[in-house]
Amino acid sequence: MSSKIVMKNIFKNYGAVQALRGVSIDIKEGDVHAICGDNGAGKSTLIKILSGVETPESGELWVSNSARKFTSPTDALTSGIATIHQDLAVAPRMTIAQNIFMGAELTKKVLGVTLLDKPAMRRDALGYMSQLNKSITDMDTKVEALSGGQSQAVAICRALRWNADIVILDEPTAALGVRETEQVLELIRALKHAGKTVILISHAMKDVVAVADRVSILRRGENQIDLDAANLTADALSHYILSGDRDSRAA
Amino acid sequence: MIEKYGTFFAGIALFVFLLIFADNFASVANLLNILKQASFLSILAIGFTFALITSELDLSFANICSLSGVIVGMMIFNGLPWPLAVVAGIGLGTLAGVLNGFLVTVLKVPSLIATLGTSSVANGLAFMLTGGVAFVGRWDPNFLFLARGKLGPVPLIVIVLVVVVGIALVFSTQTRAGVHLQATGENEEAARRAGINTRRNKVIGLALSGAAAGFTAVLLVANLSSAAPQMGGDFMLLGIAATLLGMTMFTPAKPNILGTVVGALIIVMLGNGLILLGAQYYVQDIMLGIIIIASVAVSASTLKQAAFSL
Ligand SMILES: Nc1ncnc2c1ncn2[C@@H]1O[C@H](COP(=O)(O)OP(=O)(O)OP(=O)(O)O)[C@@H](O)[C@H]1O
Ligand SMILES: [Mg+2]
Repeated sequence: MSSKIVMKNIFKNYGAVQALRGVSIDIKEGDVHAICGDNGAGKSTLIKILSGVETPESGELWVSNSARKFTSPTDALTSGIATIHQDLAVAPRMTIAQNIFMGAELTKKVLGVTLLDKPAMRRDALGYMSQLNKSITDMDTKVEALSGGQSQAVAICRALRWNADIVILDEPTAALGVRETEQVLELIRALKHAGKTVILISHAMKDVVAVADRVSILRRGENQIDLDAANLTADALSHYILSGDRDSRAA
Repeated sequence: MIEKYGTFFAGIALFVFLLIFADNFASVANLLNILKQASFLSILAIGFTFALITSELDLSFANICSLSGVIVGMMIFNGLPWPLAVVAGIGLGTLAGVLNGFLVTVLKVPSLIATLGTSSVANGLAFMLTGGVAFVGRWDPNFLFLARGKLGPVPLIVIVLVVVVGIALVFSTQTRAGVHLQATGENEEAARRAGINTRRNKVIGLALSGAAAGFTAVLLVANLSSAAPQMGGDFMLLGIAATLLGMTMFTPAKPNILGTVVGALIIVMLGNGLILLGAQYYVQDIMLGIIIIASVAVSASTLKQAAFSL
């Protein structure tokens, strides 16, 4: 399979903190590629670079075989990369529909003037939401009234709405119950089935081995191991992350 | 219900109260005068409201209004065609707003401080250009018509207000650009990650505030047929109070156009009623202060967020 995203030798500092120290990663088209690692390993930082939220000090980024330099989230979105960030980035006092369509509102022409098409946004928002959580039906509810898991569903719907080739999910199941988690995993499978490339960050080993094709492990801002996820068990994955030991790969 | 319309009904109660108890309040002349004063204030405060929607405070709009007014007066006084003066007045206000936007988004000066600074500069320039005295004269009736004219029994200014409110309302609630202003104010980082140019939106919010100040200046000069260096000054507290009072209605805790207009009406009505009831001139200032504080206290407001972000 061809490479969809290639990152080469990425460095990123926050002041004195070296969050990424020469990370390279190769993500194949159509894969669910998991990125694992302990707290502070640099996973979210890598995602922020891929989504244009942060710019790296150095390193190369290739998307679909062309070199890119993202200087804003818009650059990543227009390159077909949609991201659900770990901190969700929702606007609590705005409605579910407004949050889902933020930045990509649907419009219609009324007497030659382009106005928001609120009924269409409500309808489509409900369509996205029903893939994840059928209990939320009123798209005019403010996000501040939702639970953590429900807000997460809103953030995921926002990423779906971009209809991007590449979907990145940073800890999408961290706040979810058993059933909601299963729905997110099902959604990831559906995205893969639709030919999309998915990048999944998760601390839930069970979820990772359930859906991932490949796993990259980061450790203190550096690549540790790249694994094929077929036949990988949750226990084995935990072991790799904790030991950080390449040689134990055979185990 | 109470949350959304409480203040609105309180305004109606105040209106009825004054109709019954304040002598001459109910006269057509007085009511028209209230409507007219409220129109000036509304147009000015709608600008401030747009800045606040993007979570930026514009404390300079009143003095920018003065400076724009002085420019308009000076140009007409010196025999330039009045339409040119109108364009210059609105243009100057807009430019001042863009400057505020630049200070806030590029130089990262918090809007509270940046606009306090430009406010003082505008005030100084207004006095410099006038030498401290007003431009007065016999001006083109067509220019004066802008603020004093009537279409049938309806003052032109009220029609202007209706048009401005209509456009502002549709823009802020029914267009992409309008909701992008709101998203920028509600969660700047979320908006940025959704591909919205939040800096540009903050500049737009502050520019609209400046443009409204320039436009109001034109109307005020036409109404008074004079341009004094401190002509906008009194509107600062009135405009802020109208907007904050407006935040207690319709979409609670969010700055909104209709709320601002109703807020302006209530505040002008209150000022007028107090005088007719024989209250001392200082009572209005005390009331304004209380309205400003109470409005923000009842809304877990955008303004608080703006203040926290300093
Ligand atoms: N905005 C920031 N300012 C300063 N340091 C930061 C910032 N963001 C991240 N860091 C630091 O960079 C390093 C990597 O953080 P990052 O959030 O990428 O880790 P992570 O792998 O996503 O961790 P977690 O599993 O806890 O989400 C950490 O040491 C963190 O403290
Ligand atoms: Mg993280």
